[in-house]
Amino acid sequence: MKSRDGERAERSWASRFLRNLLLWAVPVTLVWILLTPYYNRFLTVSAERLLRLTESPAATGLTLSDRHFAVVTRADLSAARGYLYRIRVSDIHFNWLMLGTFFLAVPGVTFRRRLGNLGWAALATVCFHIVSLFLFVKFVYATQLASWSLAQYGAAARETWGMAKHVFDLPLKFAWPFLLWAGFYLRAFFAPSDPSR
Amino acid sequence: MTDPTSTPPATGWRAHRQEIKFLALFLALLLGSFTVIAFKPVNDHVIEPFTAGVAKASGFVLAAIGQGTEMSGTIIRNQRFAVNIRNGCNGVEAMLIYGAAVLAFPAAWRTRIRGFLLGMVAIQIVNLVRVVALFLTGAYLPSLFDSSHTVIWQTIVILSSVVLWIYWAQRIVPRAQAAS
Repeated sequence: MKSRDGERAERSWASRFLRNLLLWAVPVTLVWILLTPYYNRFLTVSAERLLRLTESPAATGLTLSDRHFAVVTRADLSAARGYLYRIRVSDIHFNWLMLGTFFLAVPGVTFRRRLGNLGWAALATVCFHIVSLFLFVKFVYATQLASWSLAQYGAAARETWGMAKHVFDLPLKFAWPFLLWAGFYLRAFFAPSDPSR
Repeated sequence: MTDPTSTPPATGWRAHRQEIKFLALFLALLLGSFTVIAFKPVNDHVIEPFTAGVAKASGFVLAAIGQGTEMSGTIIRNQRFAVNIRNGCNGVEAMLIYGAAVLAFPAAWRTRIRGFLLGMVAIQIVNLVRVVALFLTGAYLPSLFDSSHTVIWQTIVILSSVVLWIYWAQRIVPRAQAAS
């Protein structure tokens, strides 16, 4: 049977975590808002390079059109409006808000260690965002450019790129912060008497 | 001296077997459930009617708080604003994340099923607040609607589902285990 102290420790861990989530939500959101223009630029440049690596000849252009949006262009395909598709890049990476608050809100762990864990999670998340934007553009090529898409991509390729974009855009984008957080802190739930381990 | 009959403590990946099993199961359930709802027949016969139900409930609440709203299919409108409730506004993503986490967690099936059902209800309540708040934002603070819609409320709904799971895994599961 669990001791009363153990139960109290669990209760206080859960409530401190919730309190910390609320406290960290505002600073994390402010940092995300401030860094979004720079991060959007970094993501578009990185995804453009990754896309060009997979093309022959390299034709994709991915440029920021304003604070939140990037436009897709191709050197071998023109469009009346000047671009082929417009992507809201900030939507790809707003899961930073969940990631930051989850990692910083963990009670009973030193701030230095929480930052260290967040650093590793952030590294994985940057790669995740670059791949997400890459898949988004591939999805646009395969399914959104009418006759050009039909001419360039077969049925299986359209399904594959569509599914990959769907998986990264919905389940993985939303579950990613929890998956990473669980990777670092899930042990707390299997050893409740010492949740900070 | 050590007791020769005692099991030595697990080392390496074996020490993290429970966590690895949970994460693998969680991911499999999550991707599996999202794949299932992506199928057109499931979408047409389960998700769309469910979304229509969310729209109806939200319209009812908005009318009850004096917004003078009218329903037309999944569209809620009044004189100031109109919104179409579609997939993505129905809380299903949060429900699937929460459901996968509950079902993957090592607990008695009875505890899991209760947690699953109560969590679904709680997430739908949060989602109802979200749709109502978004409608009011669109009607009275339209410049904030886009960021509220895509960033703020999606984050709140997903955070709520994870907080619910943490509460369930930390408080309800140990209590149920102690009682049994």
